[in-house]
Amino acid sequence: MKTFFLTFRSITQAQRAERAFAREGMGCTLRRTPRWMEERGCGYGVEVKCPDLKTGLQVLRQEKLPFRKSYLLHADGVVEEVRDDLP
Amino acid sequence: MIYLDHGATSFPKPPAVRAAVGEAMERCANPGRGSHEAARAGAEVLYRCREAAGELFSVDPERVVLTQNCTQGLNMAIRTLVKPGDRVAVSGFEHNAVTRPLHGLRARVTVAGRRLFDWEDTIRGFRKALDRGASCAVFTHVSNVFGYILPVRELAAECRKRGVPFVLDAAQSAGAIPIDFGELGADFIAMPGHKGLLGPMGTGLLLCGRKPRPLLMGGTGSESERQTMPDFLPDRAEAGTLNVPGFAGLEAGLRLVLDRGPESIGREEAALAAYTAARLRKQGWEVFHGPHQLGTVSFRGGEDCQTLCDRLAGAGIALRAGLHCAPLAHKSAGTLDTGTVRVSFGFDSTRADADALLGRLS
Repeated sequence: MKTFFLTFRSITQAQRAERAFAREGMGCTLRRTPRWMEERGCGYGVEVKCPDLKTGLQVLRQEKLPFRKSYLLHADGVVEEVRDDLP
Repeated sequence: MIYLDHGATSFPKPPAVRAAVGEAMERCANPGRGSHEAARAGAEVLYRCREAAGELFSVDPERVVLTQNCTQGLNMAIRTLVKPGDRVAVSGFEHNAVTRPLHGLRARVTVAGRRLFDWEDTIRGFRKALDRGASCAVFTHVSNVFGYILPVRELAAECRKRGVPFVLDAAQSAGAIPIDFGELGADFIAMPGHKGLLGPMGTGLLLCGRKPRPLLMGGTGSESERQTMPDFLPDRAEAGTLNVPGFAGLEAGLRLVLDRGPESIGREEAALAAYTAARLRKQGWEVFHGPHQLGTVSFRGGEDCQTLCDRLAGAGIALRAGLHCAPLAHKSAGTLDTGTVRVSFGFDSTRADADALLGRLS
């Protein structure tokens, strides 16, 4: 299981994502986005545990929920931006 | 007190609503600003309110903008769709919350349909106004003075057919008549939180089919580096700190309405209005009653309406008299010179309440 951090433009979108992940049984936590991740200042993200990015993004797509960026949170604390590879 | 002024606000508020307000005041800080527990609790309250509204009106939570009242929502909707000089179609039963913003914008207003309880007249009036080039339509779902339920599905269809955007004022219908946002295809639906939705005063909802032009600009807790308002909902329309305790109460009210069902609530209110109207008429009052009427009935008699209303208030019966902030509706019904006394039933009104009023008036 990997941990991803997905960012959203508004807290409302992040809250909707939090609900969607919870419905799918994926553990998640809503957090404010670290400043360096958000070039426009003040955003929200959801930290979610799932097998891969594709699985997580599929949930958002089903909800028609737009997200901004996706990051993989490594166990050693390294944060890596990862891309959506879905068609 | 026998309270029959639910058209102004539902009162007293249900215990669950009062409890939710109190709890939010203890637990919640400013949502969307900090990441601490109290701020998160505040954000959760707002989202739950949007979710409950989404469930009741079949709309995504982001499209539910939290407002101070119905008037704020109507102003935002009207200022989004209407430019100075635009031709706008309205019904003959609009509240000042619709007509004053239009007047302020110097819109050219066409009043469509002025006959009470007459769907054919209302639909015909709108068709004519739309065919004459109205670029927008604004109509109430239910007259706040007479309880007349307008044929909003038909009016919405006429607007959609011509590609004319429209705003629905659901001030008196939300919580008492089922409303499906997607099915209606409205550009905006505005409503108070404190009437049929049973929430506290100082709350309202604007359901958005498109991005509104903000009335207020300021902090939203999102995209703070930009000096323009966010272009996404609901942030675009929600500058400044929101009434978190109020929306906690509104969520509780929405849950009560969802539990009982707006159709059932409206049916009972309408039955009380019909019961009251029939007996008032027997007593010799001039009563405004007809088909397509919800839980509000207006009447008048020999005595000045306000004097009568004051006398009833002194006897512990709460009604409202005068023009009800809707001079257009009174003009349409021919009651502008006297006003009327309005009886409006609500969520917890009973036959005993109606009988108490009738006993006083007989």
